[in-house]
Amino acid sequence: MGLGGGAAADAFPGAGASSVRVGRAGVMVQLGSRLLRGYRGGHVVIRFALGGCANRPFFRIVAAYNKRARDGKYLEQLGCLDPLPNAHGEKVAGLNLERLRYWLGSGAQLSRPAEKLLGLAGFLPLHPMTVTGAERLRRRRQREEQAGTAPAPAPGDTPGAEP
Amino acid sequence: MLRALCRCRHVLAGGPAPGHGHGPGPSPTLCPGWSPRVVPARGRKSRDDPPAKSKADRLKMPPPVDPEELLVVLERYRQHRLVLGALRAEFRAEVLQKKREERLSGENSVELLEEHRRLMAWNDEENARQRARREERLRKEAEEERRRKLEAQEQQARKMEAFLKEKEKEVLQLQEEAKSFITLENLDARIEECLDNPRNYNFAIDKNGRVVKRTMLS
Repeated sequence: MGLGGGAAADAFPGAGASSVRVGRAGVMVQLGSRLLRGYRGGHVVIRFALGGCANRPFFRIVAAYNKRARDGKYLEQLGCLDPLPNAHGEKVAGLNLERLRYWLGSGAQLSRPAEKLLGLAGFLPLHPMTVTGAERLRRRRQREEQAGTAPAPAPGDTPGAEP
Repeated sequence: MLRALCRCRHVLAGGPAPGHGHGPGPSPTLCPGWSPRVVPARGRKSRDDPPAKSKADRLKMPPPVDPEELLVVLERYRQHRLVLGALRAEFRAEVLQKKREERLSGENSVELLEEHRRLMAWNDEENARQRARREERLRKEAEEERRRKLEAQEQQARKMEAFLKEKEKEVLQLQEEAKSFITLENLDARIEECLDNPRNYNFAIDKNGRVVKRTMLS
């Protein structure tokens, strides 16, 4: 996966430059005021914002307030993800780990697909459902394989006996 | 998804298969949100449209859950959350450290203080200048005011004087005329005088006040 840092979107003044202390009460309570737009009880999430065209999705990994629209104004862009595989069969994603650490340290939450992506990237531990999903897939494939090989010898006997 | 697993756990812990006495639909013990009257929010129909007749016997059951897998997954989640919490604490410490360093950094502080002092000095100068201008303006205006007031007072005084003079003149005039008034003492004398000097008032006057010498009758 490419590690090119996502270009930081032009945040409104005072957004990232000022010392941010964001998050639920008790997580990280440092100095002073929140960012310019104050939400009552809102918190920052790192999630995917969908862009692109019809039949061509493209995700930006973004730190935004949870009350904002999915594709609306965000605090900072932390990366991008192309869900469609490229010519070599790879799905390419870019992450800005430095800023990710900062936001996670300031108390941002993660959405489930963001967690899974970061788990696959190695920045965070693997998500349990990634592992569980892989196990289930493997089991299903084994079952299909057994179901495929088990009937094959059985009809294989009878044509041998017939002629 | 985890809610389904937790639901299964309650089923394992609680009794046997919950009774379906309440009618079609998932049992409330299993799905507390799914009462017979509640319909899903998606799809072509709106909230208060009744379900189709073909769905009258439909019994919605939650997806089946494997208890062993459930336990395994719960354990995995617990560990995952543990690690995540530790990582977050780590990052938090990092951020705080950086902030502290930023605050206590010595290299830039001198320049910043210098800059700050310079700007404050400039600001003070500007304020002083504006204050001087403002005071000048206020002084001029005060002077203007005083001058105008003085003039008005003088005007008033002059008017008063003129008025008084007029009144004085009138009073003197009246005093002069009073000498020729008829009083009780003069009465007899004046009557005698009038009777002695008859005057002829038999004349006409035109608009300009001249005595008319010629009339129609003459």
